[in-house]
Amino acid sequence: MEHARLYETTFIVNASLDDSQTDAVVGRVQDVIVKNGGAVNALNKWGRKRLSYPINKKTNGFYVNIEFTAPGTLLGALERSFQLDEMILRFLILQLDKKALAARAKAQAAAAAPPPEAAPVPAREPLFKEGPADRKS
Amino acid sequence: MITTRKPRRDKDSQMPRKKRTCRFCDAKEVYIDYKDDKRLSRFVTEQGKIIPKRITGTCAKHQRQLVKAIKRARHLAMLPFVSDAIR
Repeated sequence: MEHARLYETTFIVNASLDDSQTDAVVGRVQDVIVKNGGAVNALNKWGRKRLSYPINKKTNGFYVNIEFTAPGTLLGALERSFQLDEMILRFLILQLDKKALAARAKAQAAAAAPPPEAAPVPAREPLFKEGPADRKS
Repeated sequence: MITTRKPRRDKDSQMPRKKRTCRFCDAKEVYIDYKDDKRLSRFVTEQGKIIPKRITGTCAKHQRQLVKAIKRARHLAMLPFVSDAIR
């Protein structure tokens, strides 16, 4: 039995596709994971978001996050399939380490239990401003 | 005889200085997530530069994590590499 680890990947699908086409792209990614001996644990569609900067002349993207367990050999195949798929603008594959899991468990616990007098964090001014306005002096 | 003398101050203590603490340590964070772009955007200037820890007060350990998270978020276009203001 190969050693399987927990990973997550986030990728951006071309937002000009309609929903069924987007699902097809996501399905293809899942296929690659399953066919190479991995298992999808969670699938999160964040939906369409504006990109902070244009990628391939596109200003919007459909974000998808998949969490999966897989042997390390899968990653090469997955990366290659991402690169070949023209509908995928960007991707990021990360291994989920203990700290990430601990942080998530904590967040879930906080979400589950009603926050006791949750002190709302006041909106702060940007800590540090720069730009032409500063140079008046 | 009692002489009242002000305690000597060194130069630094004369400056009004607010004690800055690492916000991540205060919140007991163990992991800074790249997905939390709203939070990360607080540690980035309007131009998109990462704010140095000497200004935010973030501790070295968390600053390293923060920088990594910001760079990951940039890769996924959740944060800008540069966002130039309109001149």
